[in-house]
Amino acid sequence: MDEARKFDPPFTLYEADRRSALRIRRITGGWGVRRFFNQMGIHAGDEVRVLSRAPFGGPLVIESRKSRVAISKQLAERVRVEVIP
Amino acid sequence: MRILLIGQPNSGKSTLFNAVVGYRSLTSNFGGTTVEYTRGRGRVGGEVVELVDLPGLYSLHPASPAEDCSRQLILAGDWEVLVNVVDASQLARSLELTLELKDLEAPLVVCLNMMDEASRKGMVIDVPALAETLGVPVVEAIAARGQGIVETFRAAIQLRGGWASPPTGAVLYAPEVEATVRELAQALGAGGRAADVSAFDVFPPRAGQVGRHCAEDHSGNAAAAPCVVTEPAVKVEHSASFPNLRFQALQLLQSDPQRTGQLSAATALAVERAQSEITRRLGQPTDVVLSSARHAACLNLFERVVRLTRPRGDWRDRVDGLLMHPFWGYVFLALIFLGFFRLVFDLGKLGEAHILGAFQLLISQAGQLLSPHPTTFAVAKGALLGTAGAFAIVLPYLLPFLIGLSVLEDVGYLARVGYLMDAVMHRVGLHGTATIPVLLGYGCSVPAVMATRIITARRDRFVAAFLAVLVPCSARMTVLMALVGFYLGAYWALAIYVLNLIVVARAGNVLARIWPEIAPGMLMEVPPYHRPTLRVVLLKTWWRLREFVVVALPLLVVGSAVLGLVEFLGWQALINAALAPLTTALGLPTAVGLTLIFGVLRKELSLLMLAQALGTTNIHSAMTSAQIITFTLFVTFYLPCLATLAALVREVGRKLTAAAATALLVLAVVLSLLARGLLRLVM
Repeated sequence: MDEARKFDPPFTLYEADRRSALRIRRITGGWGVRRFFNQMGIHAGDEVRVLSRAPFGGPLVIESRKSRVAISKQLAERVRVEVIP
Repeated sequence: MRILLIGQPNSGKSTLFNAVVGYRSLTSNFGGTTVEYTRGRGRVGGEVVELVDLPGLYSLHPASPAEDCSRQLILAGDWEVLVNVVDASQLARSLELTLELKDLEAPLVVCLNMMDEASRKGMVIDVPALAETLGVPVVEAIAARGQGIVETFRAAIQLRGGWASPPTGAVLYAPEVEATVRELAQALGAGGRAADVSAFDVFPPRAGQVGRHCAEDHSGNAAAAPCVVTEPAVKVEHSASFPNLRFQALQLLQSDPQRTGQLSAATALAVERAQSEITRRLGQPTDVVLSSARHAACLNLFERVVRLTRPRGDWRDRVDGLLMHPFWGYVFLALIFLGFFRLVFDLGKLGEAHILGAFQLLISQAGQLLSPHPTTFAVAKGALLGTAGAFAIVLPYLLPFLIGLSVLEDVGYLARVGYLMDAVMHRVGLHGTATIPVLLGYGCSVPAVMATRIITARRDRFVAAFLAVLVPCSARMTVLMALVGFYLGAYWALAIYVLNLIVVARAGNVLARIWPEIAPGMLMEVPPYHRPTLRVVLLKTWWRLREFVVVALPLLVVGSAVLGLVEFLGWQALINAALAPLTTALGLPTAVGLTLIFGVLRKELSLLMLAQALGTTNIHSAMTSAQIITFTLFVTFYLPCLATLAALVREVGRKLTAAAATALLVLAVVLSLLARGLLRLVM
């Protein structure tokens, strides 16, 4: 348990603060979900930033290498991130 | 010579296509405008080329039927050169598709489009270095301003007949992956069973639909499609086996492990074995391994050829800060759509009043002129009323509406609406991506239904198509404006709009309960704002208008003339008598029965025929306010027009279309009955 925790960052992209630089650690999900992320060029190891978030459980806009993507809550919750110090 | 235009959504393929072929393809400022391919011929420096504009695709692993259409066409090999249109401002992501295409080892030109957008973002791209690393010609372009287009196609023409020397520098995966790929490729080749990669269709077409699904353009109207393939396809020989075995092996390795059922047993086994081998060695699913390797290669390339400087033009960020703000975003959304609605209404009303007066004068003059020939006058009056309906009642509202919608789309605002509405759409069991088809539904249901093709899950496609049809299209909006708006005031019209929104939300809710949401959610590009160009806006408006002008207008004039004759001969009584149970239940004059039949042909016909059926263009003199509201409600909901029904059958199948039509009919009757009861209390 403790061992697993150490490798799994404590929060998801959905919970991340706006504007802070983040690094994707892991994307969880099946083939269908992975395809979405692969297509949009979002992979583990990428640096992303949350630009804005819609209210009422709406999507986030994230930026990665100058590309802006709106990502829904369900998908953002599958992305584990860590803050780049 | 045939050239395929390929690229990720919103990279500007259609702009290039249009520049050479003339305006045939719709462009807009969000991905997924081209949901079917478009073909056309054009001239580049004295050379005739045939261009095929494909729906955008992010990768060769399609997530929607529109993308799958592109993939199938690429793999069919019926072309000589691929032109990969790349949005330079999204270079890091876009190159992933480029690398996949390179694996085809076929003639490939990269058109680095939107260079102005890239430099605005502070990206300085070393194009020669990019070309050298990729090993294929790279041409800079700003297609929207006409720059680099000719150069791109010249480069493509030079590659006709194949590479002089094949490009090097394919992405090499980890050695153990390469070994497995090689083994699988050998197995595929050795068995003489070169696995047909397209046997791996993610969206297997329904029987007998392959051709049609792809071969019509997005107007949804085969007759209007300028680009339906008529000549037999030329099979271009790229090499003995196309696509090559390594490419096939790579494609198969990345496919969904649960879908191997469509392959031959031996191939499926080989693929599964290879997949588990890679997963065992590298600890990750094969699709992740391969995609990550390409991604890493892209990032390396990106680092090598792009220098980042300070971005210019920060005003867009500030605008987005407001328009996508968690609070102000919605305020602006409401204001923009209210203003839009108000503008359309005011302009339409102005036009309607003026043009209608002119036609009334014309009709009374025709009456005097033709008084000795009552039959001719009946027909002529009918035809005139029909024409009047088109020019005085439909066009004054339709034109400003379509122009406004095109502007919002071109600026890039509709994509922001998708973002803002995602949470709301979840309440109705959809997500933000589905906002676009539903919003397009306010223009015309046919392109709206076709736009559902950008949605991944079949269930979502149906729900989005159903809601898009439920939303009042511009024809129904015309009925609403010209009847309720004109006679009872804008606020009554707005009230019906709001009621419609509530019904749409409820319907979505109910559908979500019957058929729960399973799709993984939304991942959508947010395009930068563009200044709309007058030419594109006007052409887009024309594209959406042409169906009305070409199909509906003649139908309208002829229909009205026939109706005039039917009325003169006293036959309408029969039709009206047949529909009397419905019309009397709704408390409407029996004379409107006939108009409902015409309304199925085209929605606006029921309005135009109403004038004819009641014998006056002043509807209020023949119907009470309550009757006008009930009639409008019924017409707004009852059945989509024939063209929409046809589009629905194509997208969701006959059974679901029949179910949707029945549901709509029941809904219309129930709502109209309720409205009649309520209005009797208040009016």
